[in-house]
Amino acid sequence: MQDFETLLKGSADAHGHLCPGQVVGVRMAMLGCRLIGLDDPKRHDQIKKLIVYVEMDRCTSDAISYVTGVRLGRRSLKFMDYGIMAATFVNLETGKAYRILSTEEARDLVPVYAPEINEKSVQQLRAYLKMPDSVLFRVQRVRVPMSEFDMPGPTHRKVSCSRCGQVVRDHRELQLDGMTLCKPCAHGAYFKNAQEVTWPDMNWSPQQGADLKALTRESKRQRTEGKESK
Amino acid sequence: MLKKIKLKEAVGSKLAHDVTEIRPGEFKGPAFRKGHTVCEEDLCRLQRLGKNHLYVIDVEEDEIHENEAVAILAKSLAGEGVVWKDEPKEGKIKLLADRDGLLRVNTTALAAFNMVDEVMCATLHNHTLVKEGESVAATRAIPLVMKRAPIERAAAIASQNGSVVSVKSLRHARVGLVITGNEVYHGLIEDGFAPILSEKLDALGSHVMVVGFAPDDVDAIARVIRSHLEKGCDLLLLSGGMSVDPDDVTRHGIMQAGATEIHYGAAVLPGAMFLVAYLGEVPLLGVPACGLYHRVTVLDIVLPRILVGEHISKTELAFLGHGGLCKDCAECSYPHCPFGKGM
Repeated sequence: MQDFETLLKGSADAHGHLCPGQVVGVRMAMLGCRLIGLDDPKRHDQIKKLIVYVEMDRCTSDAISYVTGVRLGRRSLKFMDYGIMAATFVNLETGKAYRILSTEEARDLVPVYAPEINEKSVQQLRAYLKMPDSVLFRVQRVRVPMSEFDMPGPTHRKVSCSRCGQVVRDHRELQLDGMTLCKPCAHGAYFKNAQEVTWPDMNWSPQQGADLKALTRESKRQRTEGKESK
Repeated sequence: MLKKIKLKEAVGSKLAHDVTEIRPGEFKGPAFRKGHTVCEEDLCRLQRLGKNHLYVIDVEEDEIHENEAVAILAKSLAGEGVVWKDEPKEGKIKLLADRDGLLRVNTTALAAFNMVDEVMCATLHNHTLVKEGESVAATRAIPLVMKRAPIERAAAIASQNGSVVSVKSLRHARVGLVITGNEVYHGLIEDGFAPILSEKLDALGSHVMVVGFAPDDVDAIARVIRSHLEKGCDLLLLSGGMSVDPDDVTRHGIMQAGATEIHYGAAVLPGAMFLVAYLGEVPLLGVPACGLYHRVTVLDIVLPRILVGEHISKTELAFLGHGGLCKDCAECSYPHCPFGKGM
């Protein structure tokens, strides 16, 4: 794993700005990986061993994703919408899992750790750099039961919603009154009044412009370099 | 885990904690000690103390009793020059100075430590002069039985920079005084500074090795400073010429002598025109004229810190502002007053 400063800089670049959440996220990720015994989670031989559950969609989550390399699309990043500044790091190989919580005390202690700074977010940044892990975090050893349908890898199961016909992957369908339903049909969705529409330039496609062979070559080259650097 | 049992059913069981008795103005202490086996005769007294139920302890594997907890806390809090005995009284352990010296409190770590729910630690003010055997802090774990993890986390927080409380011995400095001012140099008035400064230094275990006089002249002041250093002085106190009048050139003399660092002005009254400079490793303290009139000034706050080897710079002098205003009481009770205790 790279050193803290390098990770923080990279994380801030990827996120868009340096903020207190980046400091907390980078530190949380470094601690989480250390606790579950991964020293370089982005390396090819470790990347498939790690799953991280984040419990907030805040700056901190971006930093955690940056440091550990977990991604929503790889199914290695799980978002639990709890609104809690916490993340759980799971080593799939050993089953070891630790939930790290960012303490509320740390927020109250910011002026104590950086009394010389007036501006709030700079003061937070400085204080979160100074605080030891023991002040910044509480850690719980946890067990994370995971079904085979939560794991990275190919889709194991597809069924169709018996109301709307939509295909539902990975056992996310629900059984209600003997019917197999997608979640929007079973419990309602985050959207309302869905009306199917047409849109301008409906027949556009990138087919003509893309050099598929070149794209494949480039992607393969990057994968090989990743393996060699391990 | 604690189990609550009725007093009547407690005969034969062991007390989980000290039972405190308070007779107003007369006595406060344990009426019964932890571990005491309750017998029939005790029931009346326990009832008089307001106890109708007692706790019986059943400590789980991941739990810890307050006495074991407080010992872990005391160990993590106590640094150099601080001792404690593993004999908790009512769950509390006192931390004592094992030498005369200056108490140093890591107030940041202390605040972070006290933010952990299950623990507390109270200390004397940072930078208090203490005597051997004096209590400098006390700690306790609040619940009778608690989880082990928060106690260990609190202990880790306490030891983040070594410890929370330590007592540093004051070095015995060989001090050179530089008394500046034409009025003294030419014998128009008698110097009042040397006796006052000598007495303050003696009280702290240092002594004045040499006293030099200089007129309000940059070169002359620089010469006296260099001469003191050649004689082996490892701390210089300079009086006079510290204000902003045109004749006040002591600062320039200090610069001329080759000061590597110079900080003029402290957020303290009396003592706003105090100066701290360094010539290599040797500190130079410029004492403004208020030192002649006021019994206690910024010098009394800074001098002990210099003598324990603390490097005083702009930040330290600025942070003195909170609590840096002397109330100028008719009867001065310093050091038992808030002056200089803000940081």
